[in-house]
Amino acid sequence: MPFRRKLADILALLFAVTATLFGLTWLVWILWTTLAEGAAAITPALFTQMTPSPGSSGGLLNAFYGSAVMVLLALAIGTPLGIAAGTYLAEHGRHSRLAAVVSFLNDVLLSAPAIVIGLFVYELVVRPAGHFSGYAGAIALAMILLPIVVRTTDESLRLVPNQMREAAFALGLPAWRATSRIIYKSALSGIVTGILLGLARIAGETAPLLFTALNNQFWSASIAQPLANVPVVIFQYAMSPYDEWHALAWAGALVLTIFVLALNLMVRFFARKGSK
Amino acid sequence: MIELLDRRADEAVGAEATAKIEVRGLDFFYGKTRALHAVDLAVPANAVTAIIGPSGCGKSTLLRTINRIYELYPDQRASGEIAIDARNVLDPRYPLSELRRSVGMVFQKPTPFATSIRKNVAFALSYYERLPKTELSDRVEDALRQAALWDEVNDKLDASALSLSGGQQQRLCIARTLAVRPEIILLDEPTSALDPISTAKIEELIHGLRQRFTIVIVTHNMQQAARVSQRTAFFHLGELIEVGETTQIFTNPHAQRTQDYITGRYG
Repeated sequence: MPFRRKLADILALLFAVTATLFGLTWLVWILWTTLAEGAAAITPALFTQMTPSPGSSGGLLNAFYGSAVMVLLALAIGTPLGIAAGTYLAEHGRHSRLAAVVSFLNDVLLSAPAIVIGLFVYELVVRPAGHFSGYAGAIALAMILLPIVVRTTDESLRLVPNQMREAAFALGLPAWRATSRIIYKSALSGIVTGILLGLARIAGETAPLLFTALNNQFWSASIAQPLANVPVVIFQYAMSPYDEWHALAWAGALVLTIFVLALNLMVRFFARKGSK
Repeated sequence: MIELLDRRADEAVGAEATAKIEVRGLDFFYGKTRALHAVDLAVPANAVTAIIGPSGCGKSTLLRTINRIYELYPDQRASGEIAIDARNVLDPRYPLSELRRSVGMVFQKPTPFATSIRKNVAFALSYYERLPKTELSDRVEDALRQAALWDEVNDKLDASALSLSGGQQQRLCIARTLAVRPEIILLDEPTSALDPISTAKIEELIHGLRQRFTIVIVTHNMQQAARVSQRTAFFHLGELIEVGETTQIFTNPHAQRTQDYITGRYG
């Protein structure tokens, strides 16, 4: 009997280690390839010059700018709406039918394919306006961010023990004040984590931008115009036959990867701070 | 214990003293489960009334009805009357904010808010009263002194309330309640999560507060009821079995069930 247990133990351990290594191999491979191919193109020019025409050299400044603008705008739209809806679900509508319906729809939106959201915003914003634009891209990204913020806000608020609510209400405070001043404070690290995770998610989204912001080879600061952005530039340059464009695509991919990695590290930091 | 009760006998308060809270025909339901059966109870002003009884007897439920905190849960329902200064607070028209300002509550587990010590105390206060900064910090100091916490925290008011010990946190919760100047204080097993030394401090505190406040304390600990209260009410299975001067309840209970409980037959 002890022998069989030992054998089972060894086999299980072996299986677990193999599975872990199998998973890690791809991840390390991807990171390594991105680093190896992209590092060479990380030059000052990358951050100071525009996307070049075929055959000439350039950088990704307009794409970085466009991505930053759209992601920040999406954050400005999605975060307050998401926190408000999550607060409704967890605090005010907890026992209502409407909240149950909203929560279900939110789950649907959470798993909606990004390309569908892109098409939806195309019909809703781009077609009526007659042209692609940065704000259409921001709206599409906001719609991807929104359900993530709603869900994590809802869940972090539900983790706040009821005693905390009772203590706040027992002082005679109205619900909005108890929530905004006390309950949010207890749930803060969870809510921030949700926003950062959502940010990491939308930073790399390509599909919803293809039909909305499109791309722009030239410098344009206006969000009413088609706007360059990192994911779509990577997509187009990677598929092109030009070596300079390939190098830029790798560089863009590397910068994006480092950004998302940094966000994830921040998430871990906040999550740890919250658990203390 | 008898000796202890004798010492307190001179401070006993009779039922004929002015009733601050008058509970009449109170029923309470958790969904379909009835937790209180037609409770009638008068709570005298400026005295400590202890509510004792075995688990699930309805003592916490009664407390949670007085400040209507049960209303947070839609399946909980109370009917009957609770008059504070002759006004029925269960009347839905009675303003909740006013009720909870005059009826403070301290819970079993300390519930400091995740902010500084100062803000914990000033929080509700600055909602009710627009005070200039100096007066606000005077009121904070005053509340902390009343809660016998000032000497331990005066040099770290901006430190997180979560850094305090359990007993200090509980006294902070009492200070937070006192800061808005309530008339009634409800204590729901305030020391059951604390060590003996912290418990003694809180009991001393209750003793000092009773001159100025009407205090109702729910406790599992009969010695505590005997130590801190002037009147005691014994509940069993949602019914008020007996209420009287603490000395009488513990030395000469009229009801058999009270006798059985205080002598440790059940509970």
